[in-house]
Amino acid sequence: MRFLVFIALIILPQSWLSAGEIDYETEIKPLLKKRCVSCHGPLKQKAGLRLDAGKWIHAGGNDGPVLDEIVSRVSEQDEDERMPPEGPPLSAGEIEELKSWIAAGAKFPDHETVTESPDAHWSFQTIKSRPFPPGFENPIDAFVGKELGENGLDFSPKAGPGVLLRRLYLDVIGLPPTIAEQDAFLQNPNAEALIDDLLDRPGYGERWARHWLDAVRYADTNGYERDAIKPFVWRYRDWVIDSLNADKPYDRFVIEQLAGDELMDRSSESVIGTGFLRLGHWDDEPADPPTDRYDQLDDILNTTSQAMLGLTLACARCHDHKFEPLLQRDYYAMAAVFNPLERPRNGRTELAVPAGTRAEVSALQERDAKIAKLKSDFEREFLESGDSKLEKNVVAAFLKPKTKTQKEFVEKHREQLDKELAKAMPGDKIDALIAARPDLPMAYVWEEKSSDPPVTHLLIRGRPGNHGEKVDPAAPVILKVPANFSGSDKYTTRRRLGLANWIVDPENPLTARVIVNRVWMHHFGNGLVRTPNDFGLMGEAPTHPELLDWLAHWFVHEADWSLKKLHRLILTSRTWQQLSSGRNPDTDPDNRLLSRQNSRRLEVEAIRDSVLAVSGKLNRKMHGPHTYPSIPPQALEGHSDPEKIWKPLDENEASRRTIYAFVKRSLMLPMLEVLDICDTTQPSPGRRTTTVPTQALTLFNSEFVTRQSGHLATRLRAEAGEADAAQQIRLAFRLAVCREPTGEESKVMQEFLKEESLEELCRVMLNLNEFVYVH
Amino acid sequence: MTMTRFRPNHTPCNHTRREFLWNAGGGFAGLALADLLQAESATPGAHFPAKATRAVFLFMNGGPSHVDTFDPKPELDRLDGKSYSGDAKVGSNGRPIGHLMKSPFAFQQHGESGLPISDLFPHTAKHADDLCVIRSLHSDTAAHASGCLQMNTGAISIGKPALGAWLSYGLGSANRNMPTFVVMTDPRGGPIGSASNWSSGYMPATHQGTLFRSTGSPLLDLATPEGTTEKSQRASLDLLKNLNEQHLATRPEMSALADRIESYELAYRMQTEAAETVDLDKIDSQTKAMYGLDNPKTADFGRKCLITKQLLERGVRFIQLYSGGGHIEETWDGHTNCITNHRLHAGETDQAIGALMTDLKRSGLWDETLLIWGGEFGRTPTSEGVGKFGRDHNWHGYSMWLAGAGVKGGQAIGATDDVGFKAVEERHHVSDFHATILHLMGLDHRRLTFFHQGLDQRLTGVTEERHVIKKALA
Repeated sequence: MRFLVFIALIILPQSWLSAGEIDYETEIKPLLKKRCVSCHGPLKQKAGLRLDAGKWIHAGGNDGPVLDEIVSRVSEQDEDERMPPEGPPLSAGEIEELKSWIAAGAKFPDHETVTESPDAHWSFQTIKSRPFPPGFENPIDAFVGKELGENGLDFSPKAGPGVLLRRLYLDVIGLPPTIAEQDAFLQNPNAEALIDDLLDRPGYGERWARHWLDAVRYADTNGYERDAIKPFVWRYRDWVIDSLNADKPYDRFVIEQLAGDELMDRSSESVIGTGFLRLGHWDDEPADPPTDRYDQLDDILNTTSQAMLGLTLACARCHDHKFEPLLQRDYYAMAAVFNPLERPRNGRTELAVPAGTRAEVSALQERDAKIAKLKSDFEREFLESGDSKLEKNVVAAFLKPKTKTQKEFVEKHREQLDKELAKAMPGDKIDALIAARPDLPMAYVWEEKSSDPPVTHLLIRGRPGNHGEKVDPAAPVILKVPANFSGSDKYTTRRRLGLANWIVDPENPLTARVIVNRVWMHHFGNGLVRTPNDFGLMGEAPTHPELLDWLAHWFVHEADWSLKKLHRLILTSRTWQQLSSGRNPDTDPDNRLLSRQNSRRLEVEAIRDSVLAVSGKLNRKMHGPHTYPSIPPQALEGHSDPEKIWKPLDENEASRRTIYAFVKRSLMLPMLEVLDICDTTQPSPGRRTTTVPTQALTLFNSEFVTRQSGHLATRLRAEAGEADAAQQIRLAFRLAVCREPTGEESKVMQEFLKEESLEELCRVMLNLNEFVYVH
Repeated sequence: MTMTRFRPNHTPCNHTRREFLWNAGGGFAGLALADLLQAESATPGAHFPAKATRAVFLFMNGGPSHVDTFDPKPELDRLDGKSYSGDAKVGSNGRPIGHLMKSPFAFQQHGESGLPISDLFPHTAKHADDLCVIRSLHSDTAAHASGCLQMNTGAISIGKPALGAWLSYGLGSANRNMPTFVVMTDPRGGPIGSASNWSSGYMPATHQGTLFRSTGSPLLDLATPEGTTEKSQRASLDLLKNLNEQHLATRPEMSALADRIESYELAYRMQTEAAETVDLDKIDSQTKAMYGLDNPKTADFGRKCLITKQLLERGVRFIQLYSGGGHIEETWDGHTNCITNHRLHAGETDQAIGALMTDLKRSGLWDETLLIWGGEFGRTPTSEGVGKFGRDHNWHGYSMWLAGAGVKGGQAIGATDDVGFKAVEERHHVSDFHATILHLMGLDHRRLTFFHQGLDQRLTGVTEERHVIKKALA
């Protein structure tokens, strides 16, 4: 019933609005922001008027107060007089809301956050060191506790060991604890020790790498007609996992992705990191190649600026940003950084390159040249010796291909000759060369072919060919931290290194705030800034600005960019460890004050991995090329190449963690898609959580869940006894939700087992709300 | 429950109530069931009253030739075998360019309006007075992948929401036991680009197209698992509900948990209702024959059209049917021989399309349903290679038709040049076509926006002015 009431409230909002007043924060401000603020706001003040804060709306413009005039200006029939001048007129409903709000006195909150001028915006200011409030050991608790106290609230009680245990495992490694792990913690509930232990496990990297892959739009294929597999792109995915597990400092993590090939201490590893630059979708048959080229640069620029800086710089491609103090020039100045890059390919075929130091790569090239020479010399000898089984005229064609027919012979018989050569040629010399200089790992990267950069122009209205002024690389002016792009060497422009160094400059006001907020979001379900990819004027203000700044400063200056130290600080806080079903749901309904932990539905990866862990079938093999989970044949029917795209099921391989599952842009695994995996074409700010019936169909009826239910039933019989229903139920509960069943739960399940199978019961366990939620 | 829980971000994104819900708490707080909300009213989000509440897109995958279907060119007959002398580049992707080739199909005038239609479509032609052919469309790309994307999402790059997703987002669901946006592909395969063509892009996954199968179990994972009886399925659902409700009692403030309990009941009802739409047992044999179910050539598309009618009856908002799948001659992509190709694909689909129109008219659904016919582009008036019978891709000018609710039928709008190569009169970009479809469904393409990456995104793009094709409106 409550459910229906909830619907009615939303569908008929006027019914509650008319009862009270129009809410400035939720109704008026968003409307003004969307339709008016680009001309009457922090960037421009046409007619001397600002409409981005209550105090200025009341103050009016050059011609005095405007409150009496607003409604008539927006409802004006004459198009030349009507506001806003661009786009459709305001709707009748919007005008009505404005009218009511003004009629009721145009009220706004006393402490409205205002941005006096764009360069005074909070996230553009240097992060300063500050003391934390007294009274708590953990600085996070100090800031959160102070805020709670000022609002007459307190923390919720600390979660008990059972709840904490499951929350820690799912949060840090994305898997539920085993029975032995549960027993160990319940006997000695030392949370700090467990946190250290979990952060040291490889599963930490597998869990948290996926969060980063969301932000950088990872996929294994290019999309479009051929949707080809990106060769060796999985090395980048593994690089993220390994970097996190090794606690690579975040500044280094950023630098390697942008400029790992331009570093003085370049290595295989750092070059593989630049796979970041090539993750975007790519049409190998573009409609308009010049536009396509700029689209690719835009994709890199957009991902870099959103994922690493929290800026929507890509909006300044065609004109200065309408809402942010970002200039079109800023956009092209960053595009100039990436402009020297070229995609290694042979027509439509994409290529990977050996990754290593420059010396290693050139030594490898020399080795391969030697091997090629050995082979061609031997081939000649072999053909001349008459040992080949090929016809004489074919042999002659190989030795001296002149005519068209001879060339066709060569093409036709190449494979045959190669087979003969492979048998006949002694391998020792080649083996020795390879032993002396082993292969390098292949990396999927863009390359700069010269240190001489192409000229970058500002494109008027964003149109390729419509050249404006020449633009050199530079950092966005508003941030007031200059970047240094002067260090080109004989191989590359090193512009990306300049950009990367600027991004991780401790003076850069955005970088540390953005990553600290991202980490916070994955621990709490919401960021301190709830628009994690947008820290600009249009983004949300932080719920705890002092805490965010303290954390960001500490992260850079005391934790030396260590993400594990940041996790540890958060996970050991009372703020994180409090109950989610805690106090204050009514006083702090949106939990902006953090008076409790948030209950969250798990991401699809953690759900699928948990199913496999509980059924006992999870294959913990790490790294390597993508795997093919089982896919329903029906899902393939919608594809243009249904037979070729998905390898048949190898259950053991398919039972690896979901981060290794094939991410194909033209065909997402249905379970992942239906359970809200992010868009793979854009930097994701975070996962949405939807609840729709098709998810229930997938989790209740799919072949995957049915199969795992069978495995779980087998496991229960083996571990809890063939015929002991009570013990089977008890074990099922402990495996799935880390607790003993209540008496009532046990009773209804035992009743169920009188009529139905253990397999059915297992299917129910894997569908429980409690199983897919973490509390 | 208090409303303040849904306090939105202070960003321009919160300008419709639906987005406001999605964005509350950054969208990650476990808030859901927008489709349920929408289910309570037929078209909660329309900007103005409109006749059409649902639409069917008959997608002729591969690109049907306009000069062989709905755009007769007497001048092409005269110039048959001559070289094309115009200024634009003909053809795509370096394929050979032959001579101008007249249409081998005879055009006749049909209905009171005298709308000319080629003899490929005898059944569709019976509804000539209902068709509004737009002969002057053009788009931006020569390739199938980007062409299908542009026809479906308005953009040539992947990652944008499809027309059906926009309608789902704008108008919501009219029946929460059914998906809002249904896609049925060809047995030979899906279109090039596959799921990118019915993606929800940057919108919530709820709005994406759901693949629907015309035989067996229509939806993925709809059927009760093999080996489970219906009794066990219900017993298991009851146990799940019981346990979930015990759990909910410990944290009653979490409406998301209640929503999830409800979603299993909806899914259970969907099992029955969706399965009913592919059950044709109750349909009389005369109707089946009208749709061509008694002929192996026409049976597949006929079955899909008949199911389409049953989906429309159950309030599904947008249904997209693909004719042709896979590559080249298995689709309307008549590179090798456009004559045999089009005879095949028109022959497979025409009867069913005519039957669907007849059936919608007699059932009254016609007055609420918009029909859309066409492919990702047209084809060249030249042959592909001298002396050959294929035609290459042509995105400079091509035809699509609209029919049904709100459409002024019996007319052709705009024109291509004398040979049918370029749109020259009343040129309309494919985005104008989209603006028109939205308008017919009660949505203003300039106001139907979704805030994403700092911009109010639209189906019709944000950089160019696009216009509703007013002549198409009744």
